[in-house]
Amino acid sequence: MSDKTLLHLDLIQLVYAYALILLSVSLAHFRQIGQERQMLWASLRMVVQLLAVGYLLQLVFTVRSPLMVILILLTMTGFSLQVMGSRIKQRMPHFYRIMGSSIMIGCGGVTFYFCLLVVGYSPWYDPRYLIPLAGMIIGNSMNGASLAAERLTSEMRERHDELETALCLGATARQAAEPALRTAYRAALIPTMNTMAATGIVALPGMMTGQILSGTEPMLAVRYQIAIMCAITASVAITAFLILLQGYRGYFTQADQLRNTL
Amino acid sequence: MLQLQQLTTARNFLTDITWSCQAGELTAVIGPSGGGKSSLIRLINRLEDPSDGQILLAGRDIRELPPPLLRQRVGMMLQKAFMFEGTVLDNLQQPFRYRKEALPGAEHPEVLRSIGLARLSPDYLQRDARTLSGGEQQRVNLARALINRPELLLLDEPTSALDRPTTDSLGQTLLEICRSEGLAVIMVTHDLRLARRISDQTVYLEAGRIVEAGKTAELFAQPQSEGLRTFLAEPDEQEA
Repeated sequence: MSDKTLLHLDLIQLVYAYALILLSVSLAHFRQIGQERQMLWASLRMVVQLLAVGYLLQLVFTVRSPLMVILILLTMTGFSLQVMGSRIKQRMPHFYRIMGSSIMIGCGGVTFYFCLLVVGYSPWYDPRYLIPLAGMIIGNSMNGASLAAERLTSEMRERHDELETALCLGATARQAAEPALRTAYRAALIPTMNTMAATGIVALPGMMTGQILSGTEPMLAVRYQIAIMCAITASVAITAFLILLQGYRGYFTQADQLRNTL
Repeated sequence: MLQLQQLTTARNFLTDITWSCQAGELTAVIGPSGGGKSSLIRLINRLEDPSDGQILLAGRDIRELPPPLLRQRVGMMLQKAFMFEGTVLDNLQQPFRYRKEALPGAEHPEVLRSIGLARLSPDYLQRDARTLSGGEQQRVNLARALINRPELLLLDEPTSALDRPTTDSLGQTLLEICRSEGLAVIMVTHDLRLARRISDQTVYLEAGRIVEAGKTAELFAQPQSEGLRTFLAEPDEQEA
């Protein structure tokens, strides 16, 4: 990254950027379309949250303590669980335990693999790399995880007759649930697959754009983007797989009977 | 071959059920709705478990068998004949998939035997199972249950969605299979006419208890309890 090409944004320039939001709000107000209050509130929240995160990151980057980095990663995981829990209305049995462990193993495993083996920086807890990469990986996996959990619940409910017929014919719980698991896994992966297919043609990814804007050579930014896409895809796939693998069991008893929760 | 000993389910829904049946015997389970008929047969292939009591299949407690193996030996036709996506042959192959065995083709002796017993012609094998009529789907359901060569077959209202001629013909098929294969059949039904025509034994269940059980002809001719007399006299039940 060279400082020659890096363009700084000062406060005045940020005010100019925020003026675009004010323009949208006044347009909504004068044409009486509504949503101006919500738009203002959401944009202010965004500014405050990002500024807070900025200060926090600056602090963390200065302190460079592994304990603090781990604590931040755990907080991120906790928030993602809270968001998923509030978004999903009908939850599978043992929802938080399953989602928590799957995100920890899926996202955590991929993040450390990516940081240590792919990027290979030192020390391993360098917050400048670990936190933004973990954030991208957890954020994307959260959507896949929610889709997997939500779809599993609806599939298990809709396929009640099919599940019971399969059990009556001698299927194990796993064999009976197989079609539901396959559909839920596909649903969890579709957004990531679509993003991969459209990247570079329909849209330039945010991380790559950010790197280019801050002065990185396009080819280096592209290489980073390819690597991070691979990590996100693996993380979504592993997290969804772990959720489904643990999740379906909650619908059956040890004797391969359907529980009354359906 | 099947013995139910003092079965009781949670919250005493079924209470103190003791009863047995023999191979080659067709039993009808009758009684008012909500009396526990379906719950009773669901205990026999362990779709549910009793809170107390024991079920013996050929002298052995069914809990000693792995549930998938038990359900191969105790076949069950559910009220709604669910058809898996694909042809009739795909549906008949399903139990082989679960057992991780080589899938039988349309000429396989087990396939031909089971569709023969269910009175389906081999032309049906390549037809889309989900486009068949209700009666045809119940016959596929029957053939699919028979392909596991069960010792005992449980039927939960198998004719509830069928018209009279289809019901009669399916009932006749069941009776023939029961006799020719030495299969024990337990059928839950609301159809008293069918129960009377094809069953050897009848169990009358009311509010989770067996009120009367015995030979069908005797039970229908001389009901001992007030409950069964009233139940048999219900016009709806007679017409069913």
